[in-house]
Amino acid sequence: MTALLEVSNLHVEFDTYGGIVKALRGVDFSVESGQTLAIVGESGSGKSVAMQSVTGLIPMPPGRITAGSAKLRGKEFLGQRKLDGKTICGDEIGMIFQDAMSSLNPTMCIGDQIAETLEVHRGYSHAKAFSRAIELLDMVRIPEAARRARQFPFEFSGGMLQRVMIATAIACKPSLLIADEPTTALDVTIQAQILDLLQSLQKETGMAIVLITHDLSVVARMADRVAVMYAGQIVESGSVEDIFYRSAHPYTLGLKLAMPSHSGGEDHRLRPIPGSPPDMFSPPAGCAYCERCDRAMRVCQSDNPPIFTLDEGHFSRCWQQHPQHTGASEGLYKKATAHIDEVQA
Amino acid sequence: MWSYTVKRILQGIITVWFIATATFLAMHNVPGDPLSSDRATNETIRANLEARYGLDKPLLEQYFVYMGNMMRGDFGISFTQQNREVNDIIREHFPVSATLGVLAVMFAALGGILMGALTALYRNRLPDYIIMFLVIMGISVPSFVFAALGQLSLVNLNAMMGFSVLPVAGWGTVSHMLLPALVLGLGTMAYLTRLMRSSMLEVISSDYVRTARAKGVPAARIFTRHQLRNAVMPVITVLGPAIASITTGGFVVELVFAVPGLGRYFVQAVQQLDYTVIMGTTVFYGAFLVFMVILVDLVYGWIDPRVRLK
Ligand SMILES: Nc1ncnc2c1ncn2[C@@H]1O[C@H](COP(=O)(O)OP(=O)(O)OP(=O)(O)O)[C@@H](O)[C@H]1O
Ligand code: SF4
Ligand SMILES: [Mg+2]
Repeated sequence: MTALLEVSNLHVEFDTYGGIVKALRGVDFSVESGQTLAIVGESGSGKSVAMQSVTGLIPMPPGRITAGSAKLRGKEFLGQRKLDGKTICGDEIGMIFQDAMSSLNPTMCIGDQIAETLEVHRGYSHAKAFSRAIELLDMVRIPEAARRARQFPFEFSGGMLQRVMIATAIACKPSLLIADEPTTALDVTIQAQILDLLQSLQKETGMAIVLITHDLSVVARMADRVAVMYAGQIVESGSVEDIFYRSAHPYTLGLKLAMPSHSGGEDHRLRPIPGSPPDMFSPPAGCAYCERCDRAMRVCQSDNPPIFTLDEGHFSRCWQQHPQHTGASEGLYKKATAHIDEVQA
Repeated sequence: MWSYTVKRILQGIITVWFIATATFLAMHNVPGDPLSSDRATNETIRANLEARYGLDKPLLEQYFVYMGNMMRGDFGISFTQQNREVNDIIREHFPVSATLGVLAVMFAALGGILMGALTALYRNRLPDYIIMFLVIMGISVPSFVFAALGQLSLVNLNAMMGFSVLPVAGWGTVSHMLLPALVLGLGTMAYLTRLMRSSMLEVISSDYVRTARAKGVPAARIFTRHQLRNAVMPVITVLGPAIASITTGGFVVELVFAVPGLGRYFVQAVQQLDYTVIMGTTVFYGAFLVFMVILVDLVYGWIDPRVRLK
């Protein structure tokens, strides 16, 4: 079975005054219909760039896709506006962003902004698109939708605006919804409501969701699969159980220890990961996490680890997984027979 | 919006009253008066005139007479031109100034908005560099220099072509209006271009334009529906002051191009200390500008829902 979205070997750079930022250095992931993939990682690790370069939203220039492929149902579409006559953005793939207030046009009424997608992709008349927009507002549970449709963003609360963004994104029934930190700016109760809404919409429509987040509790609640990003690469990916119970990469472990836990007893204190991510102008030759890793070995300095397959669908980019590494790897999930998928210099 | 409108109009009335009072006081503190000029008047005429204008009365009383007349829309009779009411002067010459001014404002606004948007879209590329160089010229070179240069090149052009492409000066037809209106609007156009450019740059990199692209809206529609409308907002807010600067700039340009506008009369009246004409035109111009600024504010409020719905 081919995945709905399959991205492989994605490399993206940005020209800046300080030099070339290597934002993505070979990123692979895939999403199945009806599933949710969570992408986690520190600020600046390349989560947004990964999704925005797939959909052609990064500014080019200064941005540049130097290598890679992105396939929708097996068909290459990277760098294209349309695939099989359907526009990628807005029609096949819907997107919502972190700050809903600034993501909506301040001088256009809510209904018009939702309707625009339908006018553009479905050729609806304005009247037809607008009445459909009201139905969509109803669907994302905005009370008095007909009246609200004529209002402007400044008349809405943050949570309401994120619902509007969702309504806009799903207007054309996309097969994939990309949600880039959709709840980071919202308080906890509103956050829960938005996540519930996303889940029930997913159940209704069968769309896939890529959820970018910093928050592991959101991951635990929403995700089927998880990709952990660090310095422009995916360092571990697997099912949500793999990531939480069989963490194979020291960075994943670090993220988990840095997460507040409700059940943690006396000895569970937050342990932030010391240090900071490497300079993306000249990423290190070896493992990018080397500087901060308490298990670093000599080989980590000189060679970037390849991707090791641990189990079906569980991958990790760490030398600890090398079959010949027999030292103690306390707390890390390890497979003695882990095999190498790809060897890089 | 209604209470906002009423508030703005009340503010406007107070401003005009203030202008009228300040003009009145200023005029009464200027040494000399039109009645004591060389072309002197004999004692009886002088006394009659003083009585006619109430100049023999105490200052406060004169003030009330002046305000009372003005409230009825009567600016009095010119001191230096025979038998001409200030109202007639305004009625006859203001339309000329207004036509010129409106044309200049249109040139400035359309040119500024289009060129500003263009420079932003072509940021750091050739069209941007060329236009921004012209903008710096437009802002730093005074309009009378452009006026003279414009006339000079027209003279050469007409000579070269062997017929009159555009008249060099005078008034009457649309062809007379083009060059003076352009010269008059140039400085403001440059200023608006710069403003529009920075506002457009901000809009281009805004989150809601990214959303529009994420929705798959074609670039042309993003430009008209999302970028232009939002980027134009700050330009509209300065249109009031822009109209004011074009109006006052008109005094000079009218003189250079021999345009029979009100500005020329105003300058003349100041030179001749023609009290009534000075006060009349000053108050009239003041009221006109206040009206335009309020109008611009209201238009802005109507366009921007954040103001309209407050
Ligand atoms: N327009 C741009 N110009 C230059 N560099 C950029 C640009 N956009 C992103 N980058 C760089 O790409 C890298 C990845 O950025 P990205 O926004 O994807 O991070 P992120 O993982 O989404 O972080 P956050 O959690 O803060 O959103 C960063 O180092 C950033 O500096
Ligand atoms: S490769 Fe080495 S440095 Fe990198 S995470 Fe694994 S052990 Fe740590
Ligand atoms: Mg991001």
